[in-house]
Amino acid sequence: MKSRLIVTPNLCTGCRTCELACAFAHSVNGKPGRSRIYPLPAGFPDMWTPVVCLHCDDPACAKSCLVDAITRIEETGAMELDNEKCVKCMACVAACPFGCSLHDAQHDMVVKCDLCGGDPVCAHFCPTKALEYRPAMPTKRKAVG
Amino acid sequence: MVSLTINGKVVCAEEGEMVLTVTRREGIDIPALCHHEAVEPFGACRLCLVEITKKEWNGWTNYVTACLYPVEEGLIVQTHSSKVNELRRTILDLMLARCPNSPEVRQLAADHGVTQTAYEEMPDADNCILCGLCTRVCERLGFNAISTVGRGHHKVVAAPLKEAPPDCVGCLSCAQVCPTNVIKYEDDGDQRRIWGRTFELITCKQCGKYTITREFAEALHTQRDIPLDYFDLCDECHRKELSLKMGSIVNWSREAAS
Amino acid sequence: MRIATPQQLNRLQQECQARLDRQERKLLVCCGPGCLANGAQKVSDELKKVIEKNRLKGFSVEALKETGCHGFCEQGPLVVVEPSGTFYTRVKVRDVEEIIDQTIRKQEIVERLLYADPATGKKIANYREIPFYSKQQRIALRNIGQINQCDIDEYVAVGGYQSLAKVLTTMSRQAVIDEVTTSGLRGRGGAGFPAGRKWATCAKADDYPHYVICNGDEGDPGAFMDRAIMEGDPHSVLEGIIIAAYAVGAHEGYIYVREEYPLAVVNLQKAIQQAHEYGFLGENMLGSEFSFDVHVSRGGGAFVCGESSALMKSVAGEVGEPRAKYVRSVLKGLFDKPTVLNNVESYANVPVIIDKGGKWFSGIGTRKSTGTKAFSLVGRVRNTGLIEVPMGTTLREIIYGIGGGIQNDRPFKAVQTGGPSGGCLPESKLDLPVDFDSLTEAGSMMGSGGMIVLDDHTCVVDLAKYFLAFLVDESCGKCTPCREGLYQLHALAVAVSEGRATEADIEKMERLSDTVVLGSLCGLGKSGPNPFLSTVRYFRDEYLTHIKDKRCPAGVCRALIRYEVDAQKCDGCMACIAACAQHAITGKKKELHAINQDTCDRCGACLAVCQRDAILVI
Repeated sequence: MKSRLIVTPNLCTGCRTCELACAFAHSVNGKPGRSRIYPLPAGFPDMWTPVVCLHCDDPACAKSCLVDAITRIEETGAMELDNEKCVKCMACVAACPFGCSLHDAQHDMVVKCDLCGGDPVCAHFCPTKALEYRPAMPTKRKAVG
Repeated sequence: MVSLTINGKVVCAEEGEMVLTVTRREGIDIPALCHHEAVEPFGACRLCLVEITKKEWNGWTNYVTACLYPVEEGLIVQTHSSKVNELRRTILDLMLARCPNSPEVRQLAADHGVTQTAYEEMPDADNCILCGLCTRVCERLGFNAISTVGRGHHKVVAAPLKEAPPDCVGCLSCAQVCPTNVIKYEDDGDQRRIWGRTFELITCKQCGKYTITREFAEALHTQRDIPLDYFDLCDECHRKELSLKMGSIVNWSREAAS
Repeated sequence: MRIATPQQLNRLQQECQARLDRQERKLLVCCGPGCLANGAQKVSDELKKVIEKNRLKGFSVEALKETGCHGFCEQGPLVVVEPSGTFYTRVKVRDVEEIIDQTIRKQEIVERLLYADPATGKKIANYREIPFYSKQQRIALRNIGQINQCDIDEYVAVGGYQSLAKVLTTMSRQAVIDEVTTSGLRGRGGAGFPAGRKWATCAKADDYPHYVICNGDEGDPGAFMDRAIMEGDPHSVLEGIIIAAYAVGAHEGYIYVREEYPLAVVNLQKAIQQAHEYGFLGENMLGSEFSFDVHVSRGGGAFVCGESSALMKSVAGEVGEPRAKYVRSVLKGLFDKPTVLNNVESYANVPVIIDKGGKWFSGIGTRKSTGTKAFSLVGRVRNTGLIEVPMGTTLREIIYGIGGGIQNDRPFKAVQTGGPSGGCLPESKLDLPVDFDSLTEAGSMMGSGGMIVLDDHTCVVDLAKYFLAFLVDESCGKCTPCREGLYQLHALAVAVSEGRATEADIEKMERLSDTVVLGSLCGLGKSGPNPFLSTVRYFRDEYLTHIKDKRCPAGVCRALIRYEVDAQKCDGCMACIAACAQHAITGKKKELHAINQDTCDRCGACLAVCQRDAILVI
């Protein structure tokens, strides 16, 4: 069974360790990159939830990419953006209904979660297991919204 | 699998790969201004020239562009021999004569020992090195709004009939891939001006930030079936919307549990 | 009427030959490019009118034929009487009545229209005895000047399409390839690649469909061999193409004709239509299982579209820019499919190779360059025209034996061969054999067959400048070394011709040439510096004279010469004053004229009009 990044918003404390870990794991020339994961206030008191790329079964990002720079990595299940192919047209940034394709303005590149090649650091460092990378039943689900 | 020698080191490569892919994998720095992974290699700038030979060629060498030369069994490649360096230097010298005001060309030329061109500088020079990336990317995206026009020294990048291109959607990919930042555009409020066209930038319904042009969104909708309402919010507001949705689910599950 | 079997073809040949034999004598009017430009059509129309008017016994208007280039362009318009070979030169409309009256009616020769040997002054009546003709061996040009242009019946009468019948009914595809390989035929377009090997590679390619293309772009300034073949014997090209298509398994072909050859387009299209009518093109030709059709594709006026990959893009309707050919076009050519591309002259040789055998063909010429080659011999040579000689003939034999030496007995300076990709060879190289390899070693190349003879009034710097300007204009502009390098080379050549250059500039040009040669994407760039490289190799002193002495020894480079009136010869006729656009010449009638050096721009008008040879070039 393939592993997936499982988000359990219930357990998120908003500590933002995931955001820190992600930024540093994706450093460019020694400087931290833009984090691909955002713990955000969830609309209720003391409630937070991590917003991260869900590597959709029917991803709008890949569909919107006219140079086919976003493709599925079979081993990890991740939708990976090849920065060498990317022409920075921002189609994926505009099209992702979850806002999980982002423009790193500091390094002028488009970035998205790549599941760190199979060992996502956010899940690694999450103290509450709100983020886990483990085998899970594949379910066919459409993009929410 | 194919084995070849690069700068004295034996490396392995997949059949059908280009020499440039292999040299990049080996961490060798060869300039290749007209190269971009989004489009087919073009071989126009000629900066990625390398020296090749084979044992059975008895000392005869050839100079080929690494971006377009497929790997061969037993190929012997030199990326920085004195002859290759000389060729690269002269080509950059010629580029400098063409674009004396381009900081990028000046820098690359200086990196190769050319600080002043030995040739006649172009009068009224712009910074276009005619790498063709803008036109090739525009073609790859499916818009074909611009192309190279004219022959030889009169060649320029332009829209059909040098008028505002009707097929442009204002995605700015051309400006983004240009190695010398020649293509100018203006984002002014909710208006984008490029190639003599004016486009409307979509405004985020939530926060008012500008995202992509309406024309580009329409093209993505038509060509790739992206629902138009996906473009109503900016990426930040999409994330906020998702966090609120997830929050209301958590809240509902907590209430249901209690 | 479709010809469905070789027997039917034989019958057709007999019928066509019989029809030709009804005419005891034939009157051939050369309508090749040179003669047409000189008024041959008017001569032909007048001949037709006079023949019809006179109702001569045993001579109808059917005996009048408009042929392709007979060859001796210098002496045109040409009218030839067969079978005697009576050869009339410089024929004007006013000569027609006399020709019909004297030669056709009275069977007498019009002496004043005959060719005279320049050395002895003796008149030669039969063109076959004129050295210009007797020293040639015409294979690719075999029918041109002998048959009615674009008449399939005349082509069939002389054995046309018999080779196609032989191929389709008795030879396998491999047998055809073997025959061409045995012949040693190498591409006549200039590259000299073995045709048999090219065909074999395409035939083997496991990617369909296959295509055959004929390169009729002929862009070299001064070259008109392919033009003469396409206009004068289009069926020979067609037959060669069809045989090639059969050999490589192609069912569709294209003949790419440069935009500037409208008559070739017309004649080829006519020929294609005629071939269709007889069933030599189309479905199940000559009763075989092979089907093939060919289309004429017109160029847009670009020299670079003579380059095979650019040509294929142009045929496909795209902009004609070459691509790096690390994957050869014989495997990925037109529409990325295996394609055989050969030159017009190469295809014209094929029917003869099939008919007489590859071994026979390989016995002509040299071991590595078999067969013959057509040349356009032009420039300061006495006998300019279209010739064909066995490979291995020396430059001296061509220029002096056939060409008759230099006009006005001026000293020979150099011969420019191979068009803009070639180079100049000096007198010391005149005994080199002309073939694919010998000239290349000396710094030039045979190329597609252009041969321009130069005398001491040609400046090599000016010549290099001319060819470089041509190439700068024709460069597609895709790659940096060619687009920028040739531009800068030309700028430096201009500087030399204007006396602004230094000796260091010559070295700069040589280094730059090296980069352009090694770094360019296609053959245009790679061979672009040749006009400079070959002239500086053999005539370095002339370059240095321009630089150090600021003098042009040949009297050509305008910035370095001045015109003066020769006081000994000027008789005050005022012709030059009238001709001068700059009003730089002053003087009264019958008084010595003077040229104002500040206003004179050395355009050469005074030089051209002066009847007294009184303008000195200093």
